[in-house]
Amino acid sequence: MTQRTTVGQDDQPLLDVTDLQIELVTAGGVVRAVDGVSFTVRHGETVTLIGESGSGKSTTAMGVLRLLPEGLAVLSGSVRIAGRDVLADPDAARAVRGRTVSLIPQDPMTALSPVHTVGRQLGDAIRLRHPELTRAQVRDKGVELLGRVRITKPETRWKAYPHQFSGGMLQRILIAIALAGEPDLLVADEPTSALDATVQAGVLDLLMELQERTGIGMLMITHDLGVARLVSDRIHVMKDGRFVESGPAEQIVARPAAPYTRDLLAAVPRLGAWDEDEPLVEGAAS
Amino acid sequence: MPTYLARRLGQSLLTVFLTLTTVFLLVRLAPGDPAAAYAPPSASSADLARIRAEFGLDDPLFTQYGIFLRDLFTGNLGTSYSFHAPAFDVVMDRMPYTVTLAVAALAVTTLVAVPLGVWMARRADTKRELGANVMTIAGQSMPDFWTGVMLLTVFAVLFPVLPASGFTTWSGLVLPTLTVAVLQLALVSRLVRREMVSALTSPYVTVARSRGVSEHALTWRYALGNSAVPLVTALGTRFAALLNGVVVVEVVFGWPGVGSLVVRALETRDYPLIQATVLVTATLAILVQLLVDLAYPLLDPRVRLGKAA
Amino acid sequence: MSSTAIETERPSAVTPRDLARATATRTRRSAQVKLWAGAVCTALVVVPVALANVLPLPGANAQDLSRRRLPPLSEGHLLGTDQLGRDLLSRILHGGQVSLTVGVLAVLVSGLIGIAAGAAAGFFGGWIDALVSRFLEAQLALPLLMMLLLVVALFGPSVTVITCVIAVAQWPEVARLTRSLVLVEREKPYVAAARVLGLRAWQVLLRHVIPNVVRPASLVVLLLLAQAVLLESALSFLGAGPQRPFATWGRIISDGQAYITTSWWLVTLPGLVIALLVVGVNLLGDGLRDRTRRRKGAGA
Repeated sequence: MTQRTTVGQDDQPLLDVTDLQIELVTAGGVVRAVDGVSFTVRHGETVTLIGESGSGKSTTAMGVLRLLPEGLAVLSGSVRIAGRDVLADPDAARAVRGRTVSLIPQDPMTALSPVHTVGRQLGDAIRLRHPELTRAQVRDKGVELLGRVRITKPETRWKAYPHQFSGGMLQRILIAIALAGEPDLLVADEPTSALDATVQAGVLDLLMELQERTGIGMLMITHDLGVARLVSDRIHVMKDGRFVESGPAEQIVARPAAPYTRDLLAAVPRLGAWDEDEPLVEGAAS
Repeated sequence: MPTYLARRLGQSLLTVFLTLTTVFLLVRLAPGDPAAAYAPPSASSADLARIRAEFGLDDPLFTQYGIFLRDLFTGNLGTSYSFHAPAFDVVMDRMPYTVTLAVAALAVTTLVAVPLGVWMARRADTKRELGANVMTIAGQSMPDFWTGVMLLTVFAVLFPVLPASGFTTWSGLVLPTLTVAVLQLALVSRLVRREMVSALTSPYVTVARSRGVSEHALTWRYALGNSAVPLVTALGTRFAALLNGVVVVEVVFGWPGVGSLVVRALETRDYPLIQATVLVTATLAILVQLLVDLAYPLLDPRVRLGKAA
Repeated sequence: MSSTAIETERPSAVTPRDLARATATRTRRSAQVKLWAGAVCTALVVVPVALANVLPLPGANAQDLSRRRLPPLSEGHLLGTDQLGRDLLSRILHGGQVSLTVGVLAVLVSGLIGIAAGAAAGFFGGWIDALVSRFLEAQLALPLLMMLLLVVALFGPSVTVITCVIAVAQWPEVARLTRSLVLVEREKPYVAAARVLGLRAWQVLLRHVIPNVVRPASLVVLLLLAQAVLLESALSFLGAGPQRPFATWGRIISDGQAYITTSWWLVTLPGLVIALLVVGVNLLGDGLRDRTRRRKGAGA
């Protein structure tokens, strides 16, 4: 895989977020959803934002990609993706989306247009990155991508519609679509929370394998400490729009400093008795 | 698919049947003697009795209903009092004019309302959109006969650039079409706006945006593609409502279609003709609705391929 | 929390410009503009119509053949006179009383039918639902105006018949909305609780479910009223409106059509009055709907 276009020096973070603040202008007044968070993601590393629903973790992810509705969210601080400040320059955000950074969405069942074929939507993503390819080449590449995310008999699935797939398969297809842009950074917004426990394991496995192979950087959003523990290099624990604790994954799980983190850990009862040989996701399947 | 087709066809037949029965009951239950309407004013009571016997008006209701249905199947909708010709033929003579007007209005509506609605959805609640929004509300609030008379006054009387009435040249089609289209345009563009606003905020659009799909493609391909089913449904349903507008507008412009026919039949109390007009136009509207419903599978793969997971 | 000690309140980055451009602000502004404009337009028509009998106006049917077809702003006739020398303003206002009464009555009747049928269909389901739904669909697929003309032709153009005819044309809207509201309401715990307490199904429906759906369902009333006024005027225009001495709006316009080239006001002004009222009512309805939607959005 030599798909990587080298972006700056290797010590420059793929994603550099400084004092990001997101305020939502709602009918009920201004709500501060994200209150000054800073973090970085580098090549080959997975950084996880963990918190309960409403903690602002998904808003952070969508804000970083500038996917929040313009009329709703006011963003301040700085977000640099591969060196380009996407908050200062909306064009930069458009330029990096689908090329430098891709999103794996929360609910695979609603994330694909129901009236367009999977091949069409995957093909679109490929063509955006490689406008020079012919239809047949796009298709070949798409089928190869589907194979890479372990869709069986990918060539027969090209003309199928989203409703003909299960949730787990759709999430794999969405990962394939995200990879079509050959990104350096993946933003995974609760990629497994809408899936069954057994399917969750497969999808996480696939993501980790891809990362190992391509050295992609990953920003993972989850509410599930089991998932966070499994995939992360570093964890930021988020509550009410702020980080209450940050650090290496091992440290956060083994020696949580903040009371909130301890509460989160206590909320996953089996985690204490976690064993290296047991399948991880069991503890998470609540 | 075949079950969908069969069920849909059955529903249409049932609707036609319900309509026929309603019309039959209305005509038979109405006060007044149909024979008196048919006979000349000078007719004696013996004449009336003879007419009643001739038309089977003295038979029990159920027998009359049977005869009514049998006649329908043979295309016999009675004889028009004023035209002294089979009512069905009189209606069918006028039908092409009405259909022309309806199709022209529907085409104009679609061509203008879809881009307008998409624009309003993308600019939702800006000052200019608010202005356009109020204009569409005004458009759906004007009585269509009044719009017609106004257009007529301006473009045929004050500035005589278009013919005022009748159908002699194709330019005669312009004003009636516009009049019918104003109301439909307002309604359809508001519907497009509503559908597009919800489509543009749906997850699949956000996810597509996240992978770099252009705003143009998001709007016209993703959002509009997904709004197509509700839009076509609405346009199909609108066809019936559009025929209402056509009736009124035909009267304003002296358009020789079934609308002006039915109003004339009303003045002359020509019941067989009114009845025939109602039945024929109702059947036409139901047919259009059926065609639209049969088009669903082309637009929505979930209907075409079943909901299987 | 221990973190409160070092908490320094971060300044908000929301500028007044952001606030003004926010979707929430814009939606609120749109709703307000619509509500105000709607209220003004409606009041401009409804208040004079309501006061028609009190205002110092010539009688609606007082003819004066020496003062025929006077243009608007003539002495003693603000909106001019018609072909028989009758005061146009007075005719419009008195005609409006008939048109509005017919409209309000029709909406009441269609509301009753619609809520009853829709609630029964949604609550009991089964064959009742199938029957009501089929009727709804059938009626939607028909060019109704012709059917209505047929009914008026057969049963005579009395105010009662015309009210019923308009009500029949409108009940599907109410029924469809009520049905969908009841379908949601039916699944709520209090319905099950009431059933457990031993209330019969129709008692639950009548005492608990219907009171809960009447308010949201009543939002469409304004829109229905607008449609009723339009439909009544269309029927009148086609010669199937209430007969003389009632000078309804549609009839005034259809009478004036013959004089359109010489006396523009006879058609233009009554039409404007109808349009003004219907625009106002539609704007009010739209604004109210936007506002409830926003409330719901804020609550979520």
